Amino acid sequence: MEIVAVVVLAVFVAGYLVLAGADIGVGMLLPVLGRDARERRLVIAGIAPFFLGNEVWLVSAVGVVAGAFPGLEHRLLEGLFPVVSGLVLAWVVRDMGLWLRGRVEAAAWRAGCDGAIVVGSWGLALAWGSVLGTLLVAAAGEPVSGMNAGTVAGLPLAALFALHGAGFARWRLSGAPLERARRWPGRYAVTGAVLVAVAVLAGLGVPWEQVRASASALTVTAGTTVVLLPALVGAQALVWWTFRGRVHSPSYL
Amino acid sequence: MDFDPLMLARVQFALTAGTHFLFVALTLGLATLVALMQTRATLARGGAAVVRARMVRFWGQLYVVNYAVGIVTGLVMEFQFGLNWGGMSSLVGEVFGAPLAMETIAAFFIESTFLGLWIFGWDRLNRWVHLGLIWVVTLTAYASAYFILVANGWLQRPVGHVMEGGSARLVDVGALLGNPTAVLAFGHVLFGGLLTAGFFMAGVSAFHLLRRTAEVEFFRRSVRVGLVAVVVSVFPVVVFGGMQFAYLQPTKGGATEQGLAEQARFVERFGPGDYLPPGLATVGEVVMMATWGLMALVAVAGLVKLPFGRWLVRGRVFHVVLLVAVPLPYVAMLAGWVFREVGRQPWMVYGVLKAEDALSKVDPGWITASFVVFTVLMAVLTVVNGWLLARFARRGPQGVQLGAAPPAGSAAESAPALTPTF
Repeated sequence: MEIVAVVVLAVFVAGYLVLAGADIGVGMLLPVLGRDARERRLVIAGIAPFFLGNEVWLVSAVGVVAGAFPGLEHRLLEGLFPVVSGLVLAWVVRDMGLWLRGRVEAAAWRAGCDGAIVVGSWGLALAWGSVLGTLLVAAAGEPVSGMNAGTVAGLPLAALFALHGAGFARWRLSGAPLERARRWPGRYAVTGAVLVAVAVLAGLGVPWEQVRASASALTVTAGTTVVLLPALVGAQALVWWTFRGRVHSPSYL
Repeated sequence: MDFDPLMLARVQFALTAGTHFLFVALTLGLATLVALMQTRATLARGGAAVVRARMVRFWGQLYVVNYAVGIVTGLVMEFQFGLNWGGMSSLVGEVFGAPLAMETIAAFFIESTFLGLWIFGWDRLNRWVHLGLIWVVTLTAYASAYFILVANGWLQRPVGHVMEGGSARLVDVGALLGNPTAVLAFGHVLFGGLLTAGFFMAGVSAFHLLRRTAEVEFFRRSVRVGLVAVVVSVFPVVVFGGMQFAYLQPTKGGATEQGLAEQARFVERFGPGDYLPPGLATVGEVVMMATWGLMALVAVAGLVKLPFGRWLVRGRVFHVVLLVAVPLPYVAMLAGWVFREVGRQPWMVYGVLKAEDALSKVDPGWITASFVVFTVLMAVLTVVNGWLLARFARRGPQGVQLGAAPPAGSAAESAPALTPTF
């Protein structure tokens, strides 16, 4: 059951990095893709229907860690306290910017929310670079507990998210923002594959045998997930099918 | 810094959980009422269909505003377990983590994905599909609340596990999921959420009727929906609350005869110490019950008035009462949580793991920094949410953005690219 649980966790983490990585990257490039408030709203409309269904992959990944690998939760969150706190903070700031931007008409409000989206997206990408870098260095031989050289060395991985976002923007945007997105060398499939590879490599250094729950608890969590996974993937597919095609006008956000 | 990290982490959890629950209570109840309204709107024909569809959009928007802020407070909660309470994951993680895992996978994932479809798929999806979405969102919201209460219920009354080498191992999933402190609390929270949403709808509608709105039909129907929700849920909420007293920890009431006997047993098993909770717990109990009494009075008045539509539109005193009553369920909920959670102290898991032993072993400076940052964040989110809810509630159905055609949307759609006029 342990191998099943590891695969399930890999699916959720990789799913998060590929799916949410794109909307994080678009957030990072918001000031570049959209030059005025209206264009920025169009850029946000490009990710609007997706970001809610994307971030739940991480929430579920954390759930799987809590249920199947409680020892990892302990080592990772406690060991990387400042990095993970920064990650959560950036996540909240970014989501609030996205959700609240369209609610008030004032230019200052919109500008403030745009700022929250950009700063939050960069914060998230950098925090992920740091977490993944820490795990990659750990995979190279150091024990997974607390910060190491990779915590800082991983920060440039944030650029991967920006490129991934540009690749996604090529599919979704229209008009001038699309033209600007095309100037970036981002290809969704390529950056997506790299993100998956990084996630898998990062997982190699985790001593799964030591951090896993007992067989009965592992069966509960992994079993539930395996049974439900087709429904979760189906829900995600429904989102992609419903919102396929380019955006030409603002959405609710 | 001479702050006590344990106290800071406890207060931080109380503030995060308390803030999160303010949103959860309204989200749970309002989702249900919006789903019911959308069902009636989808089935209706003619003029009633128009009013009902507008009701779905107006109340749905307030629901979405509240959900968005609620979701981020929930994220902070999820991570706080691992950040501040590392001892939880290392010692009891696999038991406490199992319901959390089920919550994220079997409930929250679907809830959020389908809510996104509901919000952004307005007028894009078949109306029956769109109706189905809000029902899935509502049911998974309830599933989510249930799994979280399974986790919390286990902290109150640990069952279904054995202790091996100092850490808990899950042996009986059925006992964990069927724990009365979880199942009864779920019933309590379910009706508490409906009560919150009922008072919210009735209060907002009363505000508009009091101001002699032109939308009489709209708010007459809305105040009815709200009052019916209040009347339906005010007694079940107290029944599910009362039934939980059978499973109360002996120490919860403080230095009672039972409490002192249990204190003596704990001293014998775990060594000397104070095993009685702070007096704040019983204050919470009293406030919760007194507030329920006030709500029951409003519910009785509402029951008398409900059959008479004109009375609901005209009675100005009753409008003021309904407006003032909006905070009551929130006060009762928070007081109830204080009773439940403070009353569990000094235990994290009652009789198994003390809060002080569950605290993460990180530098106290980080705990302090995290406390300051996230407390400010929670305060800002609460104020922003309150302000936005008040703003959209005051504007009435004219100011709804949810499901509306986006400004200049159709013009932009026909244009090949963004033009300066857009």
